[in-house]
Amino acid sequence: MADHEKLVIMVTHGPEDPELATIPFVMAGAAVASDVDVVMGFQGDGCRLVQKGVAETVVAPEFAPLAGLLDSVRELGGKLLVCSPCVKSRGIEDELVEGAEVCAAARFVSEVTSATNSLVY
Amino acid sequence: MAATQVDKELDARGLLCPMPIVKTAKAMKELAPGEVLKLTATDRGAVTDVPAWAGTTGNELLETHEEDGVFVFLIRKTQE
Repeated sequence: MADHEKLVIMVTHGPEDPELATIPFVMAGAAVASDVDVVMGFQGDGCRLVQKGVAETVVAPEFAPLAGLLDSVRELGGKLLVCSPCVKSRGIEDELVEGAEVCAAARFVSEVTSATNSLVY
Repeated sequence: MAATQVDKELDARGLLCPMPIVKTAKAMKELAPGEVLKLTATDRGAVTDVPAWAGTTGNELLETHEEDGVFVFLIRKTQE
């Protein structure tokens, strides 16, 4: 059983690259649906994806819309961790979607080292 | 072929990867062990996704076939 497997998915592409913004959510959705614990980490422009109202604007051709993927990941227990300096530099730290948690490097390290595997996009 | 009793049907036609298995995972939570879900999907990715999902979660894929471009899966819940 996969009950205790954990996947960390790091996201560094924002809404300007809809395909690479969407693929990590596709992987996260497949993972939470498969009973794998998921932690998504948003760094650089990736953090824009968890700014309120942004996910709704991202649709990559032939991919499921990002907003629905984000909802599914959250609904099935996926965690959203967001890089602290990345949101501060963009002035969006008070505009994040519900469930997004701002954190710093050591937390990301802790999540990655305790994960079964990590994917970086 | 003897017909398998279907306890719940899920129409995932038109949904793109990974939404068919996301919806399947949610639907399976409403079934009791031993009950069977009939999933229909049009995303070709489901052909490989559903068996992979069943293998990962330990649920049993009883049957897969295609009807006029629609992929049909029968999945038996084997665990809580």
